[in-house]
Amino acid sequence: MSSTALAVSVLALLLAATLLTPLLAKLRLRRYAHLPAVLAFGTSAVLAMLMLNDVYVNGPAGPTPGLSLHVSADFPWISFHETKLPTTWFSAGLLNVTFSLGIDPLSAIMLATVTFVATWIAIFSAGYMHGEEGYARYFTIMSLFVLCMCLLVLANNFFLLLAGWEGVGLCSYLLVGYYYAKPSAAAAARKAFLMTRLGDVGFVLGIFLLWSVGGHHTDLTQIFAHIQAHPVNDFTLGLACLLLFCGAVGKSAQLPLYVWLPDAMEGPTPVSALIHAATMVTAGVYLLARCSPLFVQVPSVQAYVAITGGATALLAAFIALTQTDLKRVLAYSTVSQLGYMFMALGTAGAVTPSIAVAAAIFHLFTHAFFKALLFLGSGSVMHAMGNVIDMRRFGGLRTVLPVTHATFLIGCAALAGLPLLSGFWSKDQILDALDHAGEHGLTHRELYLGVFGVAVLTAGMTAFYTFRAYFLTFWGETRIPEEAGHHAHESPRIMCVPLIVLAVGALFVGALVEPLTHHGFSKFLSATPAIQQANKTYEREHNVRSQSQPHFNWLIAGLGTAAAVGGLGLAFAMYRKGQLAQLPAAAKPLHAMSLNKGYVDEIYHGLVVKPAEIAATGSRQFDGLVDAVARLVSYAPRMLAALLRPLQNGLVQFYALGMVLGLTAVVLVIVFKVSR
Amino acid sequence: MNLNTVLGLLLLVVLLAPLAAAALIAIGGRGRPGLTRRLAVYASALHLVLTIGMIALYSGFVTPDAQSEQNLSLNFQPKAVPGDPGATNGAETFTYSTSWKLVSLTPGETGPAVHFYVGLDGLNVLLVALTSLMFFFAVLVSWDTVRERAAAYYGWLFVLQTAVTGAFVSFDVLLFYVFFELTLIPAFFLIGQWGTGSARRDAARKFVLYTLFGSLFTLVGIIGVVLTNPIPLHPTSNQPFYYEPTHQAMAHARDQDGPYVPGRAGPITFSIPVLMKNVSMWDSMSHYSVLQAEGRLAKATPNLRADRERELADVREKQRERSTTQFWLFLALMAGFAVKIPIVPFHTWLPATYSEAPLAVTMIFSAVLAKLGTFGILRIVIPLVPEACVQYGLPWFGTLGAIGIVYAAFCAFAQRDLRLLAAYSSVSHLGFLVIGLFAMTPEGLSGALLHMVNHGLTAGAVFALLSFLARRYRTLDANQYGGLWAKYPVFTFLMIVIVLANVGLPGLNNFVSEMLMLGGLFDPRNVKIAGWGLALVAAFGVMLSSWYLFTMLKRVFFGPLIEPPTVGEADARPKDVTGREFVPLAALAALCLTLGLFPQPLLDVVSTDVRRVSELVNRARYRLDPSIAAAEAENKPPVQPIRIALPAPKR
Repeated sequence: MSSTALAVSVLALLLAATLLTPLLAKLRLRRYAHLPAVLAFGTSAVLAMLMLNDVYVNGPAGPTPGLSLHVSADFPWISFHETKLPTTWFSAGLLNVTFSLGIDPLSAIMLATVTFVATWIAIFSAGYMHGEEGYARYFTIMSLFVLCMCLLVLANNFFLLLAGWEGVGLCSYLLVGYYYAKPSAAAAARKAFLMTRLGDVGFVLGIFLLWSVGGHHTDLTQIFAHIQAHPVNDFTLGLACLLLFCGAVGKSAQLPLYVWLPDAMEGPTPVSALIHAATMVTAGVYLLARCSPLFVQVPSVQAYVAITGGATALLAAFIALTQTDLKRVLAYSTVSQLGYMFMALGTAGAVTPSIAVAAAIFHLFTHAFFKALLFLGSGSVMHAMGNVIDMRRFGGLRTVLPVTHATFLIGCAALAGLPLLSGFWSKDQILDALDHAGEHGLTHRELYLGVFGVAVLTAGMTAFYTFRAYFLTFWGETRIPEEAGHHAHESPRIMCVPLIVLAVGALFVGALVEPLTHHGFSKFLSATPAIQQANKTYEREHNVRSQSQPHFNWLIAGLGTAAAVGGLGLAFAMYRKGQLAQLPAAAKPLHAMSLNKGYVDEIYHGLVVKPAEIAATGSRQFDGLVDAVARLVSYAPRMLAALLRPLQNGLVQFYALGMVLGLTAVVLVIVFKVSR
Repeated sequence: MNLNTVLGLLLLVVLLAPLAAAALIAIGGRGRPGLTRRLAVYASALHLVLTIGMIALYSGFVTPDAQSEQNLSLNFQPKAVPGDPGATNGAETFTYSTSWKLVSLTPGETGPAVHFYVGLDGLNVLLVALTSLMFFFAVLVSWDTVRERAAAYYGWLFVLQTAVTGAFVSFDVLLFYVFFELTLIPAFFLIGQWGTGSARRDAARKFVLYTLFGSLFTLVGIIGVVLTNPIPLHPTSNQPFYYEPTHQAMAHARDQDGPYVPGRAGPITFSIPVLMKNVSMWDSMSHYSVLQAEGRLAKATPNLRADRERELADVREKQRERSTTQFWLFLALMAGFAVKIPIVPFHTWLPATYSEAPLAVTMIFSAVLAKLGTFGILRIVIPLVPEACVQYGLPWFGTLGAIGIVYAAFCAFAQRDLRLLAAYSSVSHLGFLVIGLFAMTPEGLSGALLHMVNHGLTAGAVFALLSFLARRYRTLDANQYGGLWAKYPVFTFLMIVIVLANVGLPGLNNFVSEMLMLGGLFDPRNVKIAGWGLALVAAFGVMLSSWYLFTMLKRVFFGPLIEPPTVGEADARPKDVTGREFVPLAALAALCLTLGLFPQPLLDVVSTDVRRVSELVNRARYRLDPSIAAAEAENKPPVQPIRIALPAPKR
């Protein structure tokens, strides 16, 4: 099968799973509701690998003109030979939107990552969600979720991409609000949807701006080609990129729109794994990588991207330092790691774009493994602890949950970036890109150097809070909350196997695809036409040669390792007993600041939510005023009538007087007219 | 009998059958509510089938001439006109006009007359379908909510259906106006007699007076347009004179010798297609004469200068007079439509009406009656005063629309009554529609037209959903509800689908039309008048709609279960969606999904007529700003929509 056919069959499989699951529930086969999802994800993962191989061997398939399927089938009662799916979604005037897919290394890597990780999350969910009332609903939405994400990464049309983009937003809404009877889940779901939608306002406007300056194309490749051929002024392009970035900020939970992500853990824990690892939040990173040919042309926007990433990474890491909710720590670490990816993306244009983008996507790739692992691990903990997730209430679970403990430790080590694990390699590439931008970059050098400093600091903090969570959960004396009952035990095999698989990934996948294969990942990714184009633009604008592959810098690696080990050591010193440590008085305000999440939610509530609600109430009252004005106008005839009514008093004398006066007036007028 | 005749007959049936049904039900159904409602369902279902058949025939009929891009005439060419003189004797020549006279203004045969001129074209065909569909659903929704005097209720409902359909299919301005106003009478009785609220009589009176007040101005505007745009006659003969200078000719107007002699005023007409031509012709003549007078002044020898200056001042004065008249006519025409849609701040009749009327009627109001206003803009205002629309449409009414989007969204958020929330939400969405219309580009107009259908489906669906609650509980106060998901999963599912359609989620219908309308605002010719700002507000409005709707979802469907007192006995347990309720709700949800995924057939149906309007507007733009014509001539081949071949008169 060609890679296009593979991509189409992935989408078709996922769609089939989405439609089949509710059918199973209708047929009273709810117990088997996980099967369509698991099978579809698994098969999709295999197909995605085949596609990856096909792209590797044959090169990018290029944009397809549309999803055209040629089906021929003969049934006894009907025979049809060719069915062409429509290639146009909608088209009027100059706005033509097609179902066009683009298959290249970037989309192939994303597709493989998404489907692979999702498969194991689905298997884990089958155990975790067992016996839940909404079992079928859960797997239906999950299938739709993965379908939308795959559509997002495969789309070669901005509106098709937007469809996937909004689709994952919807699915996350439904999954976060899965426990609909829980008010906090309902609030978190609404918050997630609205926050990301706020970013999408910018995204949509950015798309239209690109459409209007990009020769009225909506296909990504055509827009890029048109803009390359007919350069757009910096202001317009910068504005368009900034607007696209707004969308990415919302979806990928960056400052100032990150606050929905930590709340989004109200959903079932495997959902968090899905949202945080493979789908949804990576969409923004993917978008910027995909649009790198545009972004490299506007260095000031790129600097802004890097700053946003740095600030988010630092703030989220700072908040994660003191959280006592295990999932919350992980959620903030996701925000922080996404910040890392944006830092890397922001260097594209200051350094060779392919290097910067490869660093970001590589980190996305490894992060998918260890973040999924950590969330599933915390789900396993929750499962055993009777849904308690507050780290103050349990501890010393090393012996109770041996498999979870071992895999969780691997995940922590990978997230902290301990040498030779997956996270180490990807983090090192990001640090390297930042350092390179700071030293040899062509613009904003000081700024990139500053961001580099932030990145190293964040690396240390990451190691600290990760291992703090690990020690608090697994070390010290065994404490089990009463909700768990007497049967706190290791999770069933269906949940442990995904943990082990992902742990193996977290251990080796980073080393396997980069250092052991001579930067095979980066080189493969660089073959993406869009990234190639970004490289060309970079070479032309700065009159330099592109760097072909990242180089391993011992100094940077050492610095990163030192930060990680330092953080780990500090965490060990403070939390090895598995209990919260006493803090010196001087650190108290800082501690409170971190514990209360920087008061950002409160600030937003005071600055945005409350005023909006007041404005709404005000509008409602003002509407009464508008109505009153309308009523006043309607009284005008009546008041006129009231003025004239006394004239009709029924007195014959009065009427006679009126007649005489009128007659006199008429006569006078006539007389004067004639006499003149 | 050729296809056009068949279609014409079908159209007559579709237009008048509801009247017959009304009579039948009013007479036969009195005192027999069971029979009445069954009859009503059968009648409206049959009507829907007929309408679908007619539209299927029609769409097969129009596809060929959608291709003829080159000689696109710039006036509407309705098909399926009953009484088309060209189609009566079996020959396939269409005159796109009718010989059915209603009222003759002069006793003679040829004088100006009001015709029974109805037909189908791309602009109204979808709305006719929407009307039939929504009335069918309204009848279903009324099934067990209307118990008193059911025969009269369904009778008035069907009269309303004829009035609305008539307004959509009219191609005679006065006929349009008659149908437009005819809607008020059944609406008045439906609200005042069968309303659910305590203030229903007040609401009915307010609705009728308010909209009547606005539409009287529209009548003045219509008469003004008719009087100021008679058929132009050739300066020397009595032939109709439609030599309209192309914009290339306009560009060379200054080089022409001899004073330009515009046509003479001929008889007046009420036919919208002819009026369009007339308006365009008079506008062009007035511009052309100014340009030529300027050219003559530039070439004048010193002793002729004073003469030429006087000549120029003269034509300029005439042109200014014409554009002033157009401006006032524009405002007058807009008055009625702005109230009917409604555009903020002329919306205050709406909350009262929507919350007092029976829910099925509210559904018709938001789904179909509001479209009369937007359709009026598309059919009457833009074609008949195009220059004023270019100058004042987007800056004035676009701005009002933008204000309306945000303002109504805020109002919607603060409402506790679900019905009022839906009412304001409807106003907010219609603001977007007005902006899309006044963008006056092919994208914006197609999007707006599609949005009329989409908004009809989604807004109608919201009220149909609310009737589900109204049938079970005594109140629609959102604060008395909570956690309905647990109790009514099917209802919740349908509600979420409709809410998602309302907030413009891709894959559902509103997304497509909203994107097209946004695209219309990014037209560089509109950028000058702050198109981007309006686009920003419009896009933000979409976000606001998810703000209030998702807050509503959270309040009513999530959280622990809270229920207000039920309608029936306390121990009668309300059930989830029943079969009869399921049909309209599921059909609407399915339509939303289908039109979201495959909207192109609809866009194909409207494309030719949308191009007519947008080209017409383009020519107005060229006249007002020649630099646009010059810029466009560089980018694409010039349009050549003129088909009349009389020689340019020179003296």
